[in-house]
Amino acid sequence: MNAVHRPSQAGAVSTAPILRTQNLTVRFDEFPAVRDVDLSIADGELRVIIGANGAGKSTLLDLLCGKTLPSEGEIWLRDRNITGIGEAAIARSGVGRKFQTPTVFKDMTVLENLQVASNRRVRVFENLFERVKGRPSDKEVAVAERTGLLGSMKRKASELSHGQLQWLELAMVLSQEPKIILLDEPAAGMTAAETDKTAELLLDLAGGHTVLVIEHDMAFVRRICRTITVMHQGAVLAEGTAEEIERNPAVIEAYLGSATLSHA
Amino acid sequence: MTYRTASIIAYIAFFAVVLALPLVLNSFWTNRVAIYLVYSICAIGISMSWGYAGILSLGQGLFFGMGAYMLAMSLTLAVPENNPVPQLMLLNMEPNAVRDLCCVTTGSFLWIPFRSVAVGMIAGIVVPCILAAAIGYVMFKRRTTGVYVSIITLAFAVIGQLLIINNQPLTGGFNGLADLALLEIGGFEFDPYGPSAYYAVALTLIAVILLARYMLTGRIGQVLKAIREDEARARYLGYDVENYKLFIFCVSAGVAGLAGMLFTVTSEFATPSLMATSLSISMVIWAATGGRASLLGACIGALIVNFVGSLASESATFQPVWPIILGLLFVVVVLFMPNGIAGIFKAFIDRPGKAERLGGAKLSGKTERPDKADLLVKSELSAREA
Ligand SMILES: Nc1ncnc2c1ncn2[C@@H]1O[C@H](COP(=O)(O)OP(=O)(O)O)[C@@H](O)[C@H]1O
Ligand SMILES: [Mg+2]
Repeated sequence: MNAVHRPSQAGAVSTAPILRTQNLTVRFDEFPAVRDVDLSIADGELRVIIGANGAGKSTLLDLLCGKTLPSEGEIWLRDRNITGIGEAAIARSGVGRKFQTPTVFKDMTVLENLQVASNRRVRVFENLFERVKGRPSDKEVAVAERTGLLGSMKRKASELSHGQLQWLELAMVLSQEPKIILLDEPAAGMTAAETDKTAELLLDLAGGHTVLVIEHDMAFVRRICRTITVMHQGAVLAEGTAEEIERNPAVIEAYLGSATLSHA
Repeated sequence: MTYRTASIIAYIAFFAVVLALPLVLNSFWTNRVAIYLVYSICAIGISMSWGYAGILSLGQGLFFGMGAYMLAMSLTLAVPENNPVPQLMLLNMEPNAVRDLCCVTTGSFLWIPFRSVAVGMIAGIVVPCILAAAIGYVMFKRRTTGVYVSIITLAFAVIGQLLIINNQPLTGGFNGLADLALLEIGGFEFDPYGPSAYYAVALTLIAVILLARYMLTGRIGQVLKAIREDEARARYLGYDVENYKLFIFCVSAGVAGLAGMLFTVTSEFATPSLMATSLSISMVIWAATGGRASLLGACIGALIVNFVGSLASESATFQPVWPIILGLLFVVVVLFMPNGIAGIFKAFIDRPGKAERLGGAKLSGKTERPDKADLLVKSELSAREA
């Protein structure tokens, strides 16, 4: 047993929402990229957001992690209004984000990336006399093991494959021990084997962690998902299980019938 | 030999040479080298903010000059003829002004605390820090980055220099402060041409290097490196990037102020030229030449460039073209050796072919954990594929 992996309690998921948005809206020059989104994510839930390219999925995550300020609406993390408190404060309050294109510190080793991410004492003066350890802590070993990076601890991030970069960023987010994890297309650009491993990883996280994941690949979505939220032109079009979504005429018309996903 | 061992040896060798030099130098060169070591401290300040945090300040001379002026004010007042009022103020006062520091010229009261040399010495660090905090706060809270930081800091240095030049009755104007008393602490006098001032500089330099290294090899350095690489990412991990930048910018300004004070001690003057754009840019060139991300490299860069520069200034052919050479040096370094002399040193230590000659000893000597882990992951992967 390790520090990160909490016992999964499938079925015993509490229903109190950990993340809630109200009328969340953002406009770029009058163009509403996200419109009136009311989202409610339960503690321990694994939620998937799907939608065509340009539907506003990434922008929604940008709003949640503070990268973009909403034009209207509010974001609540448990009973705290985190709207507009700044990216760093949002991160500290428990939101961890993985980007669509992996953003890690390329010039640092995997271990250093994890150390920066797992340091929960983030203020300047807390770190003033703090030394950096040459060896990974148990927690860092556990996270690396989970993401298959244990053998690459001493390697520079710039030497990793694309799939490994995706996992490294995921490992960094896990190291943050966030209350909710936001993943933007975690399997993008991965080989079939890597995608399989990522799906397993997400299923493994569910229960212990609250995860909000954007995904494009319907096969992948069917594999990992419980509740799906469909976005279309910035708004939530439908919400439900995979079967419900696939039977929903509005979704079929707007999305599933379209060429973008017919390969799935 | 690992790079780490090699750099520790390099540090020790450098300290030993610096400490031994006065034994072989005459008084003229003792003074010269002491001044170069002051410039080395400046280069360390640049290395801390630019090399480690990516903040390229082109106004470091402002902090350097402030440090120099703070101590120079105290050392002006320490000269008996400058009491109760400095000569420079008598020359500029209104005909019937009261001959007292409180009100002889506008703002002359600002000099009052500097009757104490201790105040001058503390102010030499604290005032640049406060100034940097104010400038940095405005810049970093607005998330100013990159070249805009350089332009803003440059602008502030120009403003600072103009303020000093234009307030002659208060600051000595263009001529600055000269004819200073020697610095004296507890009855001990620092002779700019003797070993005393030299060792004051050398020991300060060593202390600054050790403290900076301690700080930058620790957590702060790691976070700063992360910020330098991708500050947005650092924010999403919960770091208040602005505060880290503000911190290192202030520390760097404090180091520059300290260097400025030592400049006053070794050169016996402070003039507005210390805040000139050319000096600020020179500091960046010193750090770049030596290797901006290496404290020792930046130090050595300052020594070499200044030494060569002083040789050039004695040659009729090279003296007029030295600024051009300096500019070209900067371009060459930036384009072809971004890590400067320190980068060449590292490349030499890590040169390929060395591992074979060591017969793999280097590999077997490494930590076991990753190797074991490698096997673990490999077996796990093959188990999955099967
Ligand atoms: N910063 C921005 N400025 C202007 N338009 C933007 C910006 N960010 C996103 N958009 C627009 O918002 C829409 C949604 O984009 P995005 O959230 O990236 O879609 P998705 O992730 O669902 O593919 C797109 O039309 C995109 O062009
Ligand atoms: Mg997207």
